[in-house]
Formats: sequence, structure tokens, C-alpha cells
Amino acid sequence: EGYGEQLPLKLGGATCVREERLTGRDSLVFLVDASKEMFIKGEDGAPSNFDMTMQVVRTVYTSKIISSHRDLIALVFYGTEHSKNPNDTFKHVYVYHDLDEPGAKRVQDVDALRGEKGAKLAAETLGCGPSSLGDALWCCANLYSDIKLRLSHKRLMIFTCREQPHGGDNVKDRQARTKASDLKETGVVIDLIHLMKPGGFDVSLFFRDIVSPPEDESELGLQLEPCEKLDDLQKRVRAKEQKKRATARINLCLGDGLNVAVGLYATAVTARKPPPVKLYRESNEAVRSKTRTFHTQTGSLLLPSEIKKAQTYGKKQIEMEKDEVDFIKKFDDPGLVLMGFKPMEKLKLHHHIKPSVFLYPEEGEIKGSACLFSALLKKCSEKNVYALCRCIARRNNPPRFVALVPQNEEVDDAKVQINPPGFNVIYLPYADDVRTLDLPRCTSASQEQVDKMKDIVTKLRFKYKSDAFENPVIQKHYRNLEALALDMMAPEEVEDLIMPKVEQIDRRLGSLVDEFKNLVYPANYNPESKPAAKRKTGAEKKPKVEVSMDQIKVHVQNGTLGKLTVPVLKEACKQFGVRTTGTKKQELIDALMDQLSS
Amino acid sequence: MAKSALILCMDVGFNMSNSGPGEESPFDQAKRVIQKFVQRQVFAETKDELALVLFGTDSTKNPLDNDDQYQNITVHRNLMVPDFKLLEEIENQIHPESQQADCIFDIALNVCVLVENTTIHKLDRRNIVLLTDLNSPVSSDNLDVIIENLKQADITLQFLPGQKRPRTEGRPGHGEAHHQLCMFKRIERRPMAWPCQLTIGSALSIRIVGYKAVTEEKLKKSWKTVDAQTNQKDDVKRETVYCLDDDNETEVQKEDIIQGFRYGSDIVPFSKVDQEQMKYTHDGKCFAVLGFTKQSSVQRHRFMGTQVIKIFPGKDDEHAAVALSALIQALHELQMVAIVRYAYDRRSNPQVGAAFPCIKQDHECLMYVQLPFMEDLRHFTFPSLENNSKFTPSDEQLSAVDSLIDSMMLVEEDEDGKQKDIFKVHDIPNPAFQRLFQCLHHRAVNPGTPLPAMESWLKATLECPEVIRERCQSALGEIKNKFTLTQVEKKKKLKTSAQIFGKDSDEPEAKKAKEDEADEEFNLADIAEGSVTSVGSVDPARDFRTLIRQKTLTFEEVCKQLTHRIEQLLGNKSTDYYMKSITCVEAFREQSVKLGNADLYNSYLQLLKSSIPTQGLESFWELLVQDGVTLISEDEVEGSTVTRNEARQFLVTERIEEAAAHPAEDPGDVDDLVRIVLL
Repeated sequence: EGYGEQLPLKLGGATCVREERLTGRDSLVFLVDASKEMFIKGEDGAPSNFDMTMQVVRTVYTSKIISSHRDLIALVFYGTEHSKNPNDTFKHVYVYHDLDEPGAKRVQDVDALRGEKGAKLAAETLGCGPSSLGDALWCCANLYSDIKLRLSHKRLMIFTCREQPHGGDNVKDRQARTKASDLKETGVVIDLIHLMKPGGFDVSLFFRDIVSPPEDESELGLQLEPCEKLDDLQKRVRAKEQKKRATARINLCLGDGLNVAVGLYATAVTARKPPPVKLYRESNEAVRSKTRTFHTQTGSLLLPSEIKKAQTYGKKQIEMEKDEVDFIKKFDDPGLVLMGFKPMEKLKLHHHIKPSVFLYPEEGEIKGSACLFSALLKKCSEKNVYALCRCIARRNNPPRFVALVPQNEEVDDAKVQINPPGFNVIYLPYADDVRTLDLPRCTSASQEQVDKMKDIVTKLRFKYKSDAFENPVIQKHYRNLEALALDMMAPEEVEDLIMPKVEQIDRRLGSLVDEFKNLVYPANYNPESKPAAKRKTGAEKKPKVEVSMDQIKVHVQNGTLGKLTVPVLKEACKQFGVRTTGTKKQELIDALMDQLSS
Repeated sequence: MAKSALILCMDVGFNMSNSGPGEESPFDQAKRVIQKFVQRQVFAETKDELALVLFGTDSTKNPLDNDDQYQNITVHRNLMVPDFKLLEEIENQIHPESQQADCIFDIALNVCVLVENTTIHKLDRRNIVLLTDLNSPVSSDNLDVIIENLKQADITLQFLPGQKRPRTEGRPGHGEAHHQLCMFKRIERRPMAWPCQLTIGSALSIRIVGYKAVTEEKLKKSWKTVDAQTNQKDDVKRETVYCLDDDNETEVQKEDIIQGFRYGSDIVPFSKVDQEQMKYTHDGKCFAVLGFTKQSSVQRHRFMGTQVIKIFPGKDDEHAAVALSALIQALHELQMVAIVRYAYDRRSNPQVGAAFPCIKQDHECLMYVQLPFMEDLRHFTFPSLENNSKFTPSDEQLSAVDSLIDSMMLVEEDEDGKQKDIFKVHDIPNPAFQRLFQCLHHRAVNPGTPLPAMESWLKATLECPEVIRERCQSALGEIKNKFTLTQVEKKKKLKTSAQIFGKDSDEPEAKKAKEDEADEEFNLADIAEGSVTSVGSVDPARDFRTLIRQKTLTFEEVCKQLTHRIEQLLGNKSTDYYMKSITCVEAFREQSVKLGNADLYNSYLQLLKSSIPTQGLESFWELLVQDGVTLISEDEVEGSTVTRNEARQFLVTERIEEAAAHPAEDPGDVDDLVRIVLL
């Protein structure tokens, strides 16, 4: 399984996985206007609306491949000269990609439509013709109904810069409205991504009746200005393209049976390289793995009831039944329980053990939740306090304490939401999680030294944005896969965005560096010299520590094997003929204990 | 690492058995304290050694034993790492005895010095703990001399005394000692130094050393699988086999397996060698500044990773200390942070993160936290709460919430204007560890008995403080009055099929009974008309029940018809059909139990389970699991070959296997691993 499935599994556990399974796949149809107007270039050679749209489509394709490859995507053009759709029922509708999982080939196809060359190719294969949005929507409806898989979230995005695709043809307008409402009735959400055109884009002329009403009835959706820049377009598509799903729906108990229903949302999850798929050498088909537990001597399969779980402490192995292991983990049913409130300054920067999640009311579970939640949010924010809660997100999870930090809604100039309203849930460390450090004696810098550093810092100021850095490891991995999948000669280069731009930094700082160094370092001081390196060679020369078998036995008896180093333990294993696959210290100790203490 | 030795001296003499009616005797108290203490040591797996010396024993066993001196003293155990054997001995072998040891301090010292010689190790710290009710004769002059002697021998003397005391001041009271001991020792890890250079461009570098300061601590040990009969780990073997996804599940040899990766819908074969050659590589260990930015632009909720690293100047490097101090103070004064590239070493993946200035009274440092990559972020849009009139709270409602917050403040100012935090999470030991150790200890010393309830002190630490709970009562009542909260009746939410079919256990019994009656009548009517001749597709479960009552067909035949229908229904892969199938399986089960014939049903369900992966019936199985529709056990039908436990496990195991089938890839950050290896 790719990691699209893994993420919710790790985060939300049972609840979320069940939800995915029951609800099926997400789907997204790009319905793109291919009329002449879309190909008009902007001022100063700025990319055409069509070009921008293709860039965005490509971004969505590749990001889906990385983050949720099981989602289905289609790309359909309308207002084309040529037609391509099942049975060619519809004129001037071109199904470039039908609903399917995106793959390498499709990314290439979209790439081909980008830029100067892309416009040419589009002119050849698509061409420009009369538009019928009604036909186009009807065609999309067929795409949906041809899918045998169960679809959960169905979204259709119309990209156009024409506010009246039919030039005021009432019949065609009415037909399009009918088809749109048919689609909406089957659960398809229709969005308009309207693009810049001279004179502005008046949504009310036609599209108001085509698109789905916005979620929150605040008409946020329709007040949006048309997209002019690629950045805005990317942002707007991205905000819609991911279907948000709660990783858990639980109650926030304020005390005494007073419950507010809330959903937990993972808004930041560490993306990792997906695990490899095992393939059969002969046919390259994926194989399934089956893990069996059996008895070493008799070779018979062991039923769950025939095995137990055990841990060893103080030289004693302690056994438990599997359900006892679960019982130990269970403290309470899932939920958030309010302990009280604390001033925000009590939340320290170093209170961090894992990424936070986002909390939003679930009006659908307990009616009135949104109102109380909203009041709580407003007041916490006003009084600058956070709520301290005990949190059990899933069944049989031990409790964690969390800080609910209020976050007010924030929108940017284009009215795209940057920060949604709700609480950020910050996980707090227990006593065990905070390590005691021996604090080194510190020498403080003088104000002159500090001021010089301030000059350096000021020279290297930049505006940090949380989505500015791509993960070079993941990008490289996918570039490699892309190259292999598409038989490219070499993978596309990946720019390592988290590499310091050393030359640029040096240039900017100029003489400041030397000035600072003169202030803090003596003439012969070299911070690059590693005193550690010396030690290293010393360690290599150090003769191997020999420990006699008798001494090992004493250690086994006293339970003091832990005092020995890993190489010594490995040597001991060899001497006593203890076979072990483990390399960790604890594994070596366990192996020796098992063998020698009995 | 500092190793220390501790000698527990326990007075078991007759004086220790005296107690008022209903009071715990000093002996019992002392024993409990010792038990708790040893428990802590055992689970903390410290390498500290421990000896136990008993005073006032009837017999004598110690190295100084001669004629009339050092009598009634038993060295129960010489210095060694404490283990469960010691715990069992304390539990079972240590009883109040009838002698009294004289001059307990003096003797204790001498004995202990000797006991210490029993260990072959060099000790950094030595402690003697004395447990006595102090009713043994001792003069304070004598005590001073002894304490002086101890000082010279570099031994610390501590008291963990019984309750009937203290005649000397300044020793910890019993209550405190006991509460401290209740908790299992918190996990302590030796901080691993990470020496590196902080670089700004190519010309400026500062020697630094990093320490993990905060991280979610995990237990070193995990559960192992052992054979239930022999309790031997070696008797259980796990094996993974691979097979093709065809009807025969053709097995494939491990050598014939290559690895590939998904690229969207494509699977790209990609050998380990190729992957290794083509993967992203970097120069290794690094802490390089990319630039500086305003502190406010790094949002708290965007912190990633699982740790906070504190960065100090390189060890014993005064110049580095000055340089780093200049950076820390500059950032502090400008309210800025450094955005850095951080890599633990060559093998681990590089990160982007923020280094915050941290200035405390006794130290300065940078605090490094990982920040997200673009790929990590999910941009969810949520409906506005403010612009929606339906959700906007009234002024009255707002003021009710206002007073709730006021009444539940956990931080208060005392008379001196000092802030007092009455709920410090970072002082609470991880309850999961505490509970696990409690249960492990119980199982080890009381085998064969059920696991105990959670200890009350632990439970209390997880609850809202009593004072807050009382104080917020009226504010809470006000909220209840001002806000209407109503549970939404679920109409179409596919939670469990039982809910859908209105068979929730919450349903009043009377209603259920009534339905059963209706069911009965309905079926009788059916029989009278003789309309049902086979298991149809409209309501197969009803037909099945009817046919079984009619007895015109054999049980086997009816079951065959039913399972045939179930297969048809499941072929549709849709939730509605799944629901219908579940009622069929339930009916199958119910009638099998009624007729006392479990075999057909059990083998069918096992078959069904085995076909899940091939048929893609995962979600259907989930529903069965939710409804708890499992095998029929021998408790329900005599002659069933399934035990109750197996029946229960039948559903449970599926989930475990599933979890095991998608192992989470180990993060690139290998420093934890490295740390454990080096330890």
C-alpha cells in the first residue's frame, strides 16, 4: 500500500481507516475551457490562462501521486473543435483523461500541453469550437457513472475565463443549468475556478447557478476575485482539492456530562518515502505476504489462544494474555476532558513531542457544538488562555495531556483562508519526556559582539513560509521513479531547497563575518578543527577489551551485563555460542541472559 | 555513568511489630516501602546495586559474626542489581522476628562497609538507608560520631523511617517518602552529545553541541510472543510467505521477489541497489543557517518532528561560547529565529527547522524544532464560525463561558503575587508506564490472579483537581442553561449495521421483545401460507428462518441456500448489500446456536474470513467485527471445537495482522537507533 493509505492509519487509527473503507475513493474532474480566449497570453508574455491551468493540473497530478495515489482524476476539455468521448456522443467535448488513478504517463500527457509547444499541440489535437457546457457536464456525469468503484467525494472544477460560455444562448444556458443540478444531486460538488479576463469576471451572469453553494453559506466562495497569478490559482485549487477528513470524532467534555462534539484533523503529517512493494521477478506483479505463527517443534500453526505475550524484568519473564495487554493500555473511552485553563505564556516552546492536530466542532454529532465551541474559541482568544485537556484519541490509547490553543480565522487578500477557525491541539510532555541536561557553564557575549551579530542577522532576513521547502529526499525518490516509469534517460534534477545558498550569503555579509570573528575569536582559533577527531583515532587504537567467560557469568548472575559494551557483548555471544540476530544492546543482553541464566 | 550502591537496613526486631489497634505496624510499613523501592529499581533497570541487611533477626548471618558481637543481624542479600527474586523474597521470606539489635547505627555502618566489599565494581556513590522505628536505644552523641564516620567514608545516610517517630528533626516524613515511592521511577536517559558546527555561509562557523531535551520517551522493552503452554519464546516461530494474488495463492520463493515502488497507478520495479545508487545523498552532519526570520512567522502549530534539541557551545570552548551567546542574544533582541538545515548524520534525512533563542537565568542556548516540508502540509479549509449567524454565541452565552474560564484557571497568584501552577503536566509521570509496571509487578509476584485496578494516586493525577471541580460548578450549570446541546440521531451514518437495523443494545428491552413477537407471528403466518420454499433474495434472513422452522428441507440444504445468497450479495461490493449479508450471517448464527449445530456456521465463517483479501471484502469484515459476529464457541453449543477465547480472538487477530501487513517505514532519522546501540 502506498502511503496515502498509511497516513490516516497512523494518525487516526481504526476510526479513520474504517471511514475510508466504507466511503470509497475520492475523485476530481478538471473541466477546462479550451476556447480561444483561454490561449491569449497576458501582458509582457505572462502565461495564458490555459497554460496556467495545465501547470496547476500537473501539480495536482504529481502531488496526488505522492500523497493519495488512489484518488481518481479526470481531465476534460470543452469548447474544442475535435471531440473524444465514449461513443462520441457529445460534440466539442474532449476527454483527455478519463477518471483513473494518476500515473507517470498522464503527467507526461499534461506536460505536453504546457508552454508554447503545448499551445500548438492543443490547437492540433483539441482545436477551438463552439461550447456547450451542458454537454460537457453530461459527459462528466457519464464518467462518474462508468466507474465501478465506490466514490466518496466527488468534485468537479471548471476552469474558464468566459463568464458566458454560450454567449447568451438561453437554451444552452438552461440545458447547462439542468445538467449541473443533476450532477449536484448525485453528490458532485461543482467549483468554479474563474480566471482573469479583461473587464473582470461576473459570476452572477451565469455561473452562480452552476456551482455548488459554498459550505458555510457565507458566500465566501463567490466573492472571490478571479485568479490572475499562478500562485493564487495553485492556492485556490489546493484548498479545494484535498478532502478533509477527521482522524477521529470525539467529545470534548467540559465537565459533568457537558459534551461538545469535535473532530480532530491532521493538518501536517510527516510525508515519508512510501514503503516498497514486493514484486514477483518473472512477471513484475505484486505479491501478497502472509505471516504465520507456528510451533517451532511441532510445526503446527498456533492459534491466538495458544500464544501469550511476555516481557522480562529483573531476570524474570512475566507473561500476559493478549487481551490483558490491551486492558493495561485502556484508561478510559476516547475523548477530550477539560482540566482547566492556563495563560498562554505557560505554554513553552519546548513543550513539543509531536506535530499538533486541529480541532473543529462537529455539528452533525451534537447539535449546538459549533455555538459553544465558537464561544469557547472567542473567549480563550480574548483572555489569551489555552485549555488544558486530557486526550484519548483512540480506543485503548493511554492518555496524553494537550493544550488547546485558540486560532482565529485568517484570510488573505484574495479571501482564501490561510488559517481556519478552531483550536490547535499541542501535545504536552510528561515528566519522562523531559530530559535532565547538565548545563555547561556559559560565557556571555558583550553588547558589541551582540550588535555585530545583529548586523549579520539583519542582512540575512527573509520571509519564512511554511510551504516554501520541498523535501529533497522525497522529491528525488519520485524523480527517480518518474524517470524509470517513463524510460527517461536521467531523472529530472531536484533542487535542494534546504541547502544554504552559501555564495549568496557570503556576498551579502561581506566584511561582517571577519569583523565578527575578530570580535569573538582569537587569531589562531579555528572552529573547524575537531578535537573529537583526535579521540576517534585513539579509540581505534584502543586494544579490544577482553572479558573472561567467568566474568560474564558473574554479570549474568548479577544482572549487570548492561555494564559491558556492545563489542564485548558480541564477543561474549561468540564465546558462549549464543546465536543472535540482534545487534542492539538489549537484544544481545537478552540473548545471553536466555542462554546462561537457565 | 555514575553507579551507586545502596544498602537497605531494615529493622525486623520485635519493637517493629508494635502498633495500635487498626494501625499498620512499623514492620508492615517498612516492608511496603522497601517493596516499592525495589520495584522501582527493577523496572527502571538501573545498574545500581542494592543489598539488604536485616536487624533483630532470630538467627545471625553476617561476616562479622563472632561470639557475642554482631548477633541477630542477617545479611539477606549482598550487593547486586535488584531483581524479581529479591522482590519475591521480600514478599514471602521477611517476617517480623523477636530479637532486638543493639546499637543499630554503629553496627549498620560496620556491616555495611563489609557488605560493600562483596561487589567487584567501583562505586561512585554509596548510600545506606535505615528503616527502623528508632525505638532501639541510641544516643544522640553516638549519632554524631557515626555521622562523622560516615562522612569520612564518603557514605550518605538516609532514613526511610517508620511512622512512630521522629525524635530527631529534619528527616523526611513518612508520607512524603511513601508518595515518592508510589511512582515507578521516571525513565532517565543519558543525554547523548551531538557535536557539530553551526555555519552561517562558508566563512563563519561556531562549534556547538546538541542534546535532545524533550522527546516522547518509549520503553526500551516490548512484548514478545511466547508459547502459552511452555512460556518459551523459542517455541514460537513467525514466518512470512509470499504468494501471487491468483486463485491458487501460488507461493513465491523469497529469492524470486524484487522490490518496486508505486508511482501513482504504476508500479515501478526498482532494485535496492539501484535505489541506493540513485537516492538523495548529502554531506552528513550539518547545522547550517539558511537565513533569519521573524519569530512570529514560525507558527507554534507548525512544529514537526518528535523532539526539541538544545544547542550549547562546544565543550570547553570559551570562544565558541561567546560567539554562540552573541547569536542567541542578537536573535533574542531582534525577536527573530534562525531557519536552519539540520542533518544528524550521513544516514539520516536532512530537515528544515527553526533555532529559537532561549535565555534563562543560569544558561543560554538555541532550541531547535523541526518545521514542515511542503509535502507534509494539508491545506484544509473550514467554514467560518464567525460569519455564520447560526453559530454566533449571544452575549449572555459568551459571559457564561467567560466565567467558566475564570473559575477553572489552573494558574493562580498567591498572597505574595507569585504565580502558582496547580497542574504541571511535565511533573506527571507517564501513566502508561506506571500502569504497565504495576501490572507486570502484580503478575510476577501474584501469579494466577487477575490484574489489579489502577492505583488511586495515579487515577487522581489524571483528573481535574478537586478544588477546580468544586469551584466551576455554578459556571458549568450556567453553561448548561444557556446552551442547548442535543445528540443528533444518526439516520444514515453507517456506523454499525446494528444501529442501522435498530438493534442497538441501548434499545429498551420491552421494545425488543415486542419485535420478537412480531417476528414470530409473521413467521407463523408464512408457514400457514406455505409461501416460502427457498431462500430468496428479497429477505434471505427471514426466508432462512422460516425454512428452518418448516423443516421441509434439511438444515444443510437451507444453509447452503443461504450461503449461496450471501455470496451473491457480497459480490455487489456495496454497503447496502453488506448490511443485508450481515443479517444473513447473524440469522445463520442464531439458528445454528438454536439447533446446537455449530460446525456448518463455523466452517463457513472461517472460509469467509480466508477469502477477504482475494474478494476485497475488508469493509464487510469490518462491519462483522463491529457487530461482534464471531464463531460459535463451545460455551454456546456443546461440541463446538472453538473455545470462547478463540471465538473472541477470531475477530481480534484480523486487526493485528492488518497492522503488521503495513509496517510503517522507519523514519530516516536514525539517531535513536544509534543512541541505543552506543549506550
